[in-house]
This record gives sequence, structure tokens and C-alpha cells, in this order.
Amino acid sequence: MDDWLIAIIKVVCIWVWVLLIAVVMTWVERRGAGMMQDRPGPNRAGPFGLFQPIADGIKLFTKEEIIPLKAQKYLYILGPLLFSLPAFSAYAVVPFGDKIILGGKEIILQVSDVNIGFLFILAIGSMAVYGVILGGWGSTNKYSILGGLRSTAQMVSYEVPLGLALLAVVFVYGTFSLREISLAQQGTFLGILPNWGIFKQPLGFILFIVASYAEANRVPFDLPEAESEIVAGYHTEYGSMRLGLYLFGEYVNLVTISGVIVALYFGSWHIPYIDLGAYLGPVLWGIVSFCIFFLKVSFFLWLFVWVRWTLPRFRYDQVMGLGWRALIPLALFNIFITALFIQLTV
Amino acid sequence: MAKPVAKKEYTLSERIYLREILRGMRVTWRHFLFNVRASFRPEPHTIPTCWQYPEDRTREISPVFRGEHMLQLDEKGREKCIACGMCAKICPAKCITIKKGKRKEGEEDKYAAKTYSSSFEIDLLRCIFCGFCQETCPKEAIVLSQEFEMAKYTREECILDKPKLLANYQKAKEEGKLRPPRKKVPVVPAPPKPEAGEEPEGAEVKKAKAAAVGKAKAKKKPVAKKKAAEKEEGAEKEE
Repeated sequence: MDDWLIAIIKVVCIWVWVLLIAVVMTWVERRGAGMMQDRPGPNRAGPFGLFQPIADGIKLFTKEEIIPLKAQKYLYILGPLLFSLPAFSAYAVVPFGDKIILGGKEIILQVSDVNIGFLFILAIGSMAVYGVILGGWGSTNKYSILGGLRSTAQMVSYEVPLGLALLAVVFVYGTFSLREISLAQQGTFLGILPNWGIFKQPLGFILFIVASYAEANRVPFDLPEAESEIVAGYHTEYGSMRLGLYLFGEYVNLVTISGVIVALYFGSWHIPYIDLGAYLGPVLWGIVSFCIFFLKVSFFLWLFVWVRWTLPRFRYDQVMGLGWRALIPLALFNIFITALFIQLTV
Repeated sequence: MAKPVAKKEYTLSERIYLREILRGMRVTWRHFLFNVRASFRPEPHTIPTCWQYPEDRTREISPVFRGEHMLQLDEKGREKCIACGMCAKICPAKCITIKKGKRKEGEEDKYAAKTYSSSFEIDLLRCIFCGFCQETCPKEAIVLSQEFEMAKYTREECILDKPKLLANYQKAKEEGKLRPPRKKVPVVPAPPKPEAGEEPEGAEVKKAKAAAVGKAKAKKKPVAKKKAAEKEEGAEKEE
């Protein structure tokens, strides 16, 4: 009974937390864009425009729901659902901190520590393609279909280097579980460097971050919704909260991806050279580890925004060429090197 | 002939692109830092490219801005409109409806001409603010003001009737935002009446003058050398 209660509380808390980050991210994105482009950005609602996401949410919720006359009704409705459901469930295996001990019970700060770990994220994440393609197809609009087709090709192609980059990580740590990988990153590597994944997998990290930008449909790989070419891509015909689900799911995906990057390559809740867990009490350490993890995640969230307002979009053939001709061979090479090192050292 | 594009051979580090990304990110980061610092300074317009519109209305609007319509009065306070219907006819959006009324005895101080518009409606929901109505108006009666805040709560409010149009004029007059009177179009003297023997020549002169009027604005060359002009036009087309 207690376990159930704890599980439910964890689910609700982490869900609310991720939603909160995603909501604030919409503000960070717009405000950051403004600052980078020499304009103030949304600054009307509340201090620094901080209530802007609330205003946006109210607007999206109260808007009239329109289903285009020629749209295929069920697919059209199913699209955003299929896109947002994976987004809302993929972060279940991301650790948000080390464990916390409350009332003699040990609680890990993760919804569930399943042994398939990030395979779960890959599996759930690739479901999002269905949301995009169904939304695009169901709208019966040329731009939507183009956007849907593009995103299908792109997401399917970039899942290969993404998976291969992650495979090398499995070679190094011998486990899929994100929590165990996080725990293994304590201490130092080669005596000098912090024992973080990025120092063991530098090429793998670059491959992973590039592929994950493409998976999240973010600039410079935002071809599915290329505003200047195909209006808004797969969500051209969407309005009100259905559009909101698409946009919101994207930000939730960003949180998940940033969490995975931090957990795999940037030492999760560890600070280089100091093992804070040994000095702090169990409750305090739980909170501190949560904060450290959040700070690292917020850096990568900021990186998404930063890159978005810096780079122009790739051409479509460039995206495909990069995926198949550069990333996949490099990922295979990375696996080869990793396997060789492991074979030689073990 | 299209200009040949200078193709640059990219170096290896440029083709790998990661270093270029970092350089680009340095640029955006500098802008970000500068603007964040600027936004904490107390003065208005710390970020120079933006006008904080509802609070800051100091921005000047061009005198030829095409905003909400108004019906002008002449210097004696009489309506200039003669209900000729030119504006309604030229309107590409068909948003103007006019009813003509005839001036009665004792209304000379109200209407400038013998006829006046007994009703004048402009549907702002249809209007595209092209300004053809004010260009074609022979009496400079209908003019577009500098008013641009036209958001309304109902559709009915968006239909401008005569009192509203006159009120717009009063408002613009009080604020001193009246449009400067139109420049007079140079009137071409009537061509000499063609005499029996010289008819073809007379026709040519007429044509040339018509062309001169048409091109007066564009500062065209003298039309005497028509062939040269034609050549030039041909050249323009080729370009």
C-alpha cells in the first residue's frame, strides 16, 4: 500500500515538475529569442513577462476547436494525442536525482528504475512519429502531408545514429538502466578527469546530441515545420489545444532529451571531484542532487534555445546526407573503437 | 545574364561545421548579454529596435499614412462631399455605399455643393486601405486619417457611417493631424483644334501630350524624340 502511494506521489510530482519546466521553457525560448535578436520579447504579462505561458495556455484552451471540413476526422484527432502521449511518458525512466530517505523509506528520485532503461525512451520516443504522420495525413493539406513525410523520413533516419551512439554507452557501462549509469559516473577517470560519460564517449556525445536535435525536430533540423517553406508543416491545420499539445509535447521532449544527455554523458547529479553524498544527510543530499541534476538539465535546455536562434535550417538533402553519410558511419566507427578499447582493457 | 556565383572551397574545419556553430553561438551570446544588461537599465528604449507601443506613442506617423477614413469639411465648415460616387466605383473591395441627396433651400451652410451624400457607409471589415477613394475624390472629401487603432468588439461597430466619419475629421483636426492638401495636378492646355489639312499632326501632338501627362511624375524624357523613348522602353523590358 505504501509503495503504491509513493509511486503515485512520485508520478504526480515528476509529471507536474516536467510540465512546469516545459511551461517555463516556452517563456525562456521566446524571451531568449528576443534578447538574441535585439528586441525585448514578451514583456507584458507579469514581471518580465513571466505569466506569458499562462496567458498562452488560457488562450489555447478557450479557443474554438475547428476540424477542417476535408480532414479525416479520427486521424486528425488522434494525431496530437499520439504525439503527446509518448512525450508525457518517455521521461519515466529519467532519474531526477539520487535517492532520498524519508521516514526510514528509501525513495529513488525517478518514476521507475526499469532494467531496460533508455531502450524504453527509444521505443516510446519513436512512437511520436505516428503522431506527426497521422496529424499530417489526417489534415488533408499539402503542407501538412509534406511536413509529415519529411518528419517521418528524418526521425526514422536519425533514430539509427541515435541508437548506435547509445549502444556504445551500453558497451562502456554494461547496463541500460539510467540510474546505474548515473551511479557509475562518480569518481575520476584516468586520475584527472571527472568520471563522466563525455570523457569516455566524446564522439558518441556529439553524435547523440546531433541526432537528438533531429529527433526533437529542432533547428537546424526543423524541416517538418519549416515555416518559410511549408507554413507550419504537420500542424498547419491544427488550432486550439490540439496545436497546444503538439507544441507542448515538443518542449516535454526537450526536457526528456536533456535529462538523458545529462544522465548519460554529464555525470547526472555528481559534481566533479567531490562526493557530496558522503558529507550531506540523506534528506539534504536528495534535495541537493535533485538541484544539481536540474541545473545541468537547464543548461542543455538553454542550449536548445541558443542553437535554435543561431543556426539557419539545413536543406532537406543535407539533412538526409548528414544522417546517412556522416552520422551512421561515424557511429559505427565509434562502436568499433569502444569495443576495441573494452576488449583491450578488460 | 545571371551573375556567376563565386563558389568558395570550404576547408575541412568549415565542413565539419562544429567550430562554425560555436562561433555563431558566440555572436548570439554577445547579443544576448548586451540586451539583458540593457533591459535592466531604467531608461526607455534601452533596446533600440523596439517601441513599447501602448505606453510610448511618440513614434511619428507619416502624413500620408492610410488609416481610418474621414469626411472632410471645407473652411466654412460645410461638407465637401458631392456624392458623385467615384470612390464607391473605384473601390476594389466594394466597401463604400453612398446615397445621394439634393441640397434644399437653407442648407447652403451645411453642404458645399448642390448634391450631398445623405448616407455614406464604409465597411471597415472589407476595406483594404488602398487609398484609391481619396485619390479619385474630385473634392478631396474622403481622406484616410492617421488613425490606426481600429479594433472593435462587434461587427456593427466596424461599419463607419457619416457621423463617425465626420467625428474622425473633427478628431484629426483637433490633434492637428490633417493631411496636407493634395498637390495640384498640372493641367495640360487644351490642344489646338485640328484644322482640316493638319489632322494627322494634330493627333500626334495630342498623343504626345497625353503621354507627357501620364509620365509627368516619373520625370520622363521629352517626348519629341518618340523613337528614342520607345527604344528605352524596349531596353527596360529586356532588363
